[in-house]
Amino acid sequence: MNEELILQHGLTLDEFQVIRKYLNRDLSIEELGIFSAMWNEHCCYKTSKKWLKKLPTDNEIVIQGPGENAGVIDLKDNDGIAFKIESHNHPSYIEPFNGSATGVGGILRDIFTMGARPIATLDSIRFGLIETEKTKYLLNGVVHGIGHYGNCIGIPNIGGECEFESTYDFNNLVNAMAVGHVQKDKIFYSKPKSIGSLIVYIGSKTGKDGIHGASMASDVFSEEDEDEKRPSVQVGDPFMEKLLMEGCLELMSSGLIESMQDMGAAGITSSSVEMASKGNVGVYINLDKVPLRQPLSAYEILLSESQERMLAVIDKKNNHKVREILQKWQIDYEVIGEITDTKRVVFESNNKKVVDLPVEIIVDDAPEYDREFYIPRKRKNKDFDFSKIKLEDMIINLLTNLNYLDKSWVFDQYDSTVMGDTIREPGQSSGIVKIHGTQKVIGASTDCNPLYIRINPYEGMKYTVAESYRNLIACNINPLAITNNLNFASPLDPNIMGELVLSIHGLKTAAVKFNTPIVSGNVSLYNQTNEIPIKPTPVIGMVGSNMDLNKINTNKFCEIGNKILILGKQLTKNCSPYLLQDQKIAFNICEFNDLEVLDLDFEKKIANCVLELSDLKCIMSCNDISRGGIFSALLKMQYKDMGFRVKVPDPIDLFCEYSAGYVIEIRSKDFEEVTSFLTNKCAEYLEIGEIIKEGIEINSKKFDYFDIMNKYRNDFEKIIS
Amino acid sequence: MSFKSAVITFPGSNCDRDALCYLKDLTNGEVHNIWHEETSLPKVDLVILPGGFSFGDYLRSGAMASKSKIIDEVVKHANDNRYLLGICNGFQILTEIGLLEGALIRNKKLKFLGKNCFIKKKFKNNFNLSIKDNQILQIPIAHNEGNFYCDIETLNLLKNNEQIAFEYCKGEFSNTEENINGSIEAIAGITNKKKNVLGMMPHPERAYSDFHQSQDGRLIIESLIS
Repeated sequence: MNEELILQHGLTLDEFQVIRKYLNRDLSIEELGIFSAMWNEHCCYKTSKKWLKKLPTDNEIVIQGPGENAGVIDLKDNDGIAFKIESHNHPSYIEPFNGSATGVGGILRDIFTMGARPIATLDSIRFGLIETEKTKYLLNGVVHGIGHYGNCIGIPNIGGECEFESTYDFNNLVNAMAVGHVQKDKIFYSKPKSIGSLIVYIGSKTGKDGIHGASMASDVFSEEDEDEKRPSVQVGDPFMEKLLMEGCLELMSSGLIESMQDMGAAGITSSSVEMASKGNVGVYINLDKVPLRQPLSAYEILLSESQERMLAVIDKKNNHKVREILQKWQIDYEVIGEITDTKRVVFESNNKKVVDLPVEIIVDDAPEYDREFYIPRKRKNKDFDFSKIKLEDMIINLLTNLNYLDKSWVFDQYDSTVMGDTIREPGQSSGIVKIHGTQKVIGASTDCNPLYIRINPYEGMKYTVAESYRNLIACNINPLAITNNLNFASPLDPNIMGELVLSIHGLKTAAVKFNTPIVSGNVSLYNQTNEIPIKPTPVIGMVGSNMDLNKINTNKFCEIGNKILILGKQLTKNCSPYLLQDQKIAFNICEFNDLEVLDLDFEKKIANCVLELSDLKCIMSCNDISRGGIFSALLKMQYKDMGFRVKVPDPIDLFCEYSAGYVIEIRSKDFEEVTSFLTNKCAEYLEIGEIIKEGIEINSKKFDYFDIMNKYRNDFEKIIS
Repeated sequence: MSFKSAVITFPGSNCDRDALCYLKDLTNGEVHNIWHEETSLPKVDLVILPGGFSFGDYLRSGAMASKSKIIDEVVKHANDNRYLLGICNGFQILTEIGLLEGALIRNKKLKFLGKNCFIKKKFKNNFNLSIKDNQILQIPIAHNEGNFYCDIETLNLLKNNEQIAFEYCKGEFSNTEENINGSIEAIAGITNKKKNVLGMMPHPERAYSDFHQSQDGRLIIESLIS
């Protein structure tokens, strides 16, 4: 086989030699395609596996950890929650609408493949600076795509994050998360049960879209690639997915399915190989039986990533019943093969075996690298000059920065109330939905602080996990488990690899401390274009619960006259990275001081105070303090034309970041009870002011409430239009 | 006598379950779910055509659903002077069937709108009896094509016959819009001439439970039952 062909398939020559040696024969082009699909980063985690193994993935509530289509946790009674986050970064840069839409489609399939009905989606999207020519186009396309798919299939989008930063100029990130509800005794796994069962193809016909998508996703970009790679982006059809979802859920609840796999990245290849590997069996598939949209070669069928397709295993005797249900939903269905005892993956086309490989070589012998990595040098701390900073300018700096403005423009394009169970919509610290027919609620939040992680990957990652944690705590949601999406640049650069290794280490430390295991996840590497690497962006999706929907907090001001208290510990102004960056005090990443060490025990202590006070109904509203400090938190809390009057020793304190930071609103009559509770717990608090009508006052200086609120609410749309 | 109702499900309907819960929780009567390929409809007081993207909204929103097998029965139901309510996509289907006037075109800003809107009643009918004049209702909308449009003669007819049931309005606080999607005369819902068929873009079935942000959606069912 010629070298060029091997390299084109994303394999190194060393990797090819391993295969060649094992098989002791030449490979067919179809077999080469299979290795290309299965041995890339996206499918086999060859760079990250060594480090991911160190993460905590189990505790008393984990039903299914990483390794299946989604993780599942126990929510008492017969309720399980399945969830996962996944990236669609590269496709969303090349074709933002379809790239992001199919990202949502893919993650929803991961959820209902487990037998779970999706009940919420979230996202985490990052773009370059708005001044960069393409950003507006990408933002419009991505938001439209996410909205279109989710709205049409009818799953509420309940939250997410959206950031603008220069390193994403040519590498926007689109991570989509989905949460589903499953009955614990009806969870479906990808492992087939018996030899001789039929392998059936369910869903859309196979076309040319997405061929080599998974290996594209594992590639470094150059700008010229864009047009050339567009045909590798899949095209989504949410209507088809809606039918597929209802059809599959009906099949599963009728007990007609043994196991199921989504044909996602690397299509029929990946789903059938995984099936064989999980069950320690073989698969035989006749490619001539695969429903096609257009004439395709065996090679193309194997690598197509056409959307809205599932591979299922059924008992022969159920063939007729399965066909009947799928006909009702107008879904294509074909028996294409069977489970064998050979432990080999065999694909036939035109009466010829085009692929005949032992499962072992594809899965178990997949490469795993221990790449070189550097640990960042310790930073020397210094004092910055804050003498020229004025309060008015600080406010203007926030109100002219997209990252601080109200993102209604984004989430108003998403249906967040369909299914009728939504309790907290996007724009609050976490999204919350009710488990249908119960009093239980699920809260979820997606977060990342790339600036922190670039400054100090280990500590920065702890802060990121803590931010998700606080987002849930602020709503009186008990954090339970994590899904992660590790977006990084090329791991071949030891500096980048160092960020990957250290941030996984930070994730581990925080997850162990919070008892929030990592139950699912995704890795997206090589996010760099023209040698510009993205900031390290390991996104956390944290899920939690409250068994009683009447106990959750709002993040919005409740009543004029109520007091405003601050909990937590302020980071010093010299060590508040977003303050320094966004107030234009530090510009270059090397200027920043190191992060203060985050005390996770302190985080837990304050969190427990918030949870207890919430259960005592002493908290009228609560918001966490993150980027933009207390001021930004207060802006987010404004509601029904209520504002705030506050007094602080130094106005700069209002913009500093926090550890374990929360703003809480309490009634005057509860003040004694709350403060003595906090004093008993040795939790320091700061009383800073009160809620007032239509006003913003800081240290007796009055600001124009409606001017600030208009800018906060409406300027996002003005800036991006 | 108990109030009986039914919800039609088309492929791509995604608010059918919500509508079923809405009816079950508020009517305390029999509630049927009818698949679009059925050819008969039980005798009920109210039929809801739910929201969603029936048949993927391909061709035009509601166009394919308006040709479904069950539609003949739905028309018969309406001709028998019984209540028919189309919500969102259901409203679009009713205009495609021709039971309601006008059409729903893309929102003024050409973007999907998923947020709370504010409406009040315009002319009295059996769907809004329990709502006071000038009472502002907060109900979510979620649509791409909810911008009601008709020609001037039709508009005059709708006014003269008092067929406009709901119109969009500003909420109590700042930062709410007068006419959220650009509909002609801010129309949010209309009835047929006999006023037993209502089409509306806002989703009352998402605003009735204690945990919803508003419970104003109850008023429509309460009006029908009273």
